[in-house]
Amino acid sequence: MGILLFITVLLIAACGLIYELIAGTLASYLLGDSVLQFSTIIGCYLFAMGIGSALSRYIDRGLAYRFVWIELLLGVIGGFSSALLFLAFAYTQGFQLLMYALVVVIGVLVGLEIPLLMRIVRNRYHFRDVVAHVLTFDYLGALGVSLLFPILLVPYLGLVCSAMLFGIINVAVALWSTFLFANLIASVRTLRFLCFVVLCGLGIGLAQAKRITIAAEDNIYADEIIFARDTRYQHIVLTRFKDDIRLFLSSHLQFSSRDEYRYHEALIHPGLSAVPTPRHVLVLGGGDGLAVREILKYPQIESITLVDLDPEMTHLFSTHPMLTALNQKSFSSPKVHIINADAFPWVDSNTDSFDFIVIDFPDPTNYSLGKLYTTAFYKAAARHLSAQGLMVVQSTSPMFARDSYWCIAETLKQAGLQTYPYHVYVPSFGEWGFVIAAYREYQPPTSLPKGLRFVSVEGLPALFQFPPDMSPLHMPPNRLNDQVLVRAYDQDWKDISH
Amino acid sequence: MRLRTSRRKFLQSASAALVGLSIKGDRTITGSFVNDSFQVGHELRDRANFPQPKQVVKRAVVIVGGGIAGLSSAWRLHKKGFSDFVLLEMNDQAGGNSRWGENEITAYPWAAHYVPVPGSKAVYVRELFEELGVLKNGQWEERYLCFSPQERLFLYGKWQDGIEPAIGLTAADRDQFRRLEDHLQAFRATGKFTVPMEIGLSASTADLDRVSFADWLRSQQMDSRILNWYMNYCCRDDYGATTSNTSAWAGIQYFASREPEEKGPLTWPEGNGWIVRRLLERVGSFVHTNRMVHRISQRGKRFSVLSGDTEYQAEFVIFTAPTFLAPYLVEGMAPLHDFEYSPWLTANLTLEHFPDSYGTDPTWDNVFMESPTLGYVDATHQSLRSHVDRTVWTFYWALANGSPSENRQLLLNKDWNYWKEAILHDLERVHPDIRKSVSRLDIMRMGHAMARPKVGAIFSDERRNLAKSQGRILFANSDLSGFSIFEEAQYRGVYAADRVLRQVAGPLGGRHER
Repeated sequence: MGILLFITVLLIAACGLIYELIAGTLASYLLGDSVLQFSTIIGCYLFAMGIGSALSRYIDRGLAYRFVWIELLLGVIGGFSSALLFLAFAYTQGFQLLMYALVVVIGVLVGLEIPLLMRIVRNRYHFRDVVAHVLTFDYLGALGVSLLFPILLVPYLGLVCSAMLFGIINVAVALWSTFLFANLIASVRTLRFLCFVVLCGLGIGLAQAKRITIAAEDNIYADEIIFARDTRYQHIVLTRFKDDIRLFLSSHLQFSSRDEYRYHEALIHPGLSAVPTPRHVLVLGGGDGLAVREILKYPQIESITLVDLDPEMTHLFSTHPMLTALNQKSFSSPKVHIINADAFPWVDSNTDSFDFIVIDFPDPTNYSLGKLYTTAFYKAAARHLSAQGLMVVQSTSPMFARDSYWCIAETLKQAGLQTYPYHVYVPSFGEWGFVIAAYREYQPPTSLPKGLRFVSVEGLPALFQFPPDMSPLHMPPNRLNDQVLVRAYDQDWKDISH
Repeated sequence: MRLRTSRRKFLQSASAALVGLSIKGDRTITGSFVNDSFQVGHELRDRANFPQPKQVVKRAVVIVGGGIAGLSSAWRLHKKGFSDFVLLEMNDQAGGNSRWGENEITAYPWAAHYVPVPGSKAVYVRELFEELGVLKNGQWEERYLCFSPQERLFLYGKWQDGIEPAIGLTAADRDQFRRLEDHLQAFRATGKFTVPMEIGLSASTADLDRVSFADWLRSQQMDSRILNWYMNYCCRDDYGATTSNTSAWAGIQYFASREPEEKGPLTWPEGNGWIVRRLLERVGSFVHTNRMVHRISQRGKRFSVLSGDTEYQAEFVIFTAPTFLAPYLVEGMAPLHDFEYSPWLTANLTLEHFPDSYGTDPTWDNVFMESPTLGYVDATHQSLRSHVDRTVWTFYWALANGSPSENRQLLLNKDWNYWKEAILHDLERVHPDIRKSVSRLDIMRMGHAMARPKVGAIFSDERRNLAKSQGRILFANSDLSGFSIFEEAQYRGVYAADRVLRQVAGPLGGRHER
């Protein structure tokens, strides 16, 4: 029985410490100032343990029975402490009050545990052995859990689950004690039944821990983050605020579901509707499938080839229900062929020809992306144009990055193409610009697919008008060996933010 | 067994975690010396026993050496419809100082890695580049021009754009840079400093070949430490020598032979190896590698060129190997005195990811001020990909301080680990975490990497006589220009081929056209 008893000590010591660690971590995480949080929590907790120890002298009878009750209470309070605190932070003003109350209650209960236990077993061993062994295992348990907490529990289980798990351990100790001290307890059956009920409660809590965390975080962040992943190529974040889904790639907004139709209708239809008999379309970038959704509005199109660098991006927009609702499952169309490749080498080595080419890359924020906005790239891309073919290029904002916009237009011109610049207003972006480029003359289309919400035949000519504050500037073309665009883009945004 | 390893692994990482260490140890770096040619060089010098010839091959022309000069001779002969020739290369790969390597990440250079945009006088280079699609309708192909951002210099704990120091200059420094530029502009205007050098070479500039560049700078009251560092860097980069071991003529040639605002240079992932590849596509069938020539002797009107157990009998020999080797090979040739060479080492480092670089964008050429080395060049810089994670860096180190022979001994005597550590220490000053990125480091040692234009080398009678020699053995290595650059090698190779063609078209014309 000796070793079992001391393992009990080890476990209750671990449980006692874990609740304190969880409270400290939660407070640091939610309120900041970890030094203040940990100091006050440890202080309150140790003080409450002292109260518990002091109170232990008033317990005269039924030591084992009361010990089992203490474990049960600790299991319930401690086990749900983390979940309670999360929800309190999200939905009430009383987070700190609740936290310190919980810390004090748990502290008092933990303070009672060891004195009671020592008195229960005092007749079985020499006093000096009891003190030595109980305290040794007490401290061992503390060491074990303080190492487990940062290495395994927080990273793999999270705070809510860890608390539940240790609550279960407390109740297990209670249950076990009813066997260990069976001869000292009168109402063993009632206690065991209670233990069973509490275990069930904590088990359900453990299963629902994720939902509790999400429910709490929903209220903590203004926009709920519904997806976040670091891929090999970029940081993908999706947020949702009510019905507005936003995609950020490496912190740059790519679309807002409220107005992306303006962007994507304007990207596709002015060009594609002007191609007499479009059969084969190439999309470079556009891993969200939204441009493809617009292209699929032309039933005569036979194939759409989409080249996007990041397989996780195209996979996400092929499978996530919220996103496939947005792109109307465009990636599931049998016409669509997804190729995950770096665009420039792909364009260089592929020999197919296309009737419409969509170039929709992130803005030229660095030299790597800048390569995709050069005369060399546009020449390589334009080699894929069929005789009737047109190309459209996402070209940043002619309003906020006017130099950059006209630099891209000039680059297309220097690549030997005729250019037709136009712009639209997208509320979440502001004024946004595109350039249609081709080896032939372009005339705006006289008919469009049905059901468009933004682009109309009557409205088209206005898109090609540039008011004075966005009118053409003389800019040099962007070449691989000077990358003037990346510098211009950087300067454009600096000018705006200062 | 598996369980035990994984348990040990677990315990290791667990105990590391316990003592608060994240598992961030340096990578194991593998590598070795590669392309060593000391051995064969010494066999020649010591006149080792070579086999007796067992077979005879007759060709009108034998080209000795498969570097840029030799390949250019072959290119010229072939282009003129002449095919009765063979090119013998000592190493297992042609290319000489333009050799390249390739791994699963990228191709990379082993030495020469760029060609400045050639001026109007470099007609053979322009002709070649037009043929290779580098020059189209007067426009340089964008994808062969060095991508932006091109160069940076690390000084005073930070990076600056470009290699000419631009920060931390005093008024006196600026004044000296300005005066030097005025001088160079004047030299440029004389038209006597050209690429190739033979075209503009004039006795009126011979005085400049009698002083060292360092002394000349001093005589012009240019004592700025920063200016002298930069001049030293330039001489180490092109000549493998410091300014005090470089003729003032050569120092001035470096700047005055080119337009200051040219856009370039032209470069490829494998450096000038790209040009070698294109040349080999054209003349590769004439090139025989692993054929070290050990004897060249004249027998009446024919030359006997011995290589391994083969005797090549030829009417002409174009000797494009480094000229200092000629007296060891050519029967009856007097020893040479005016040819000196700089020892170099280059290293190719495989990087699993780009290291921290004080927050700046990586560039093509990366130089560190106050370092004895020349920094490194990134082989994936010319990649068209927009996402590059692994890369290869070529590290350059001309052993310019001290005597060349002592440095050659140092190259030979120190082991791979010594040089690896020296290189990583040098890189650590700009990339403190470099050891976490590097997985492989291969080193190529070159005892006689490039001709050194020491004082008197340019106008040396010995050099000029060999360069002009009218015999049936023609010398064409770039060292006959006094320094080793692509354009000089190509010019001399083509020029020698033209002279051979002129002679075979005479009395022997037609007989060798096949």
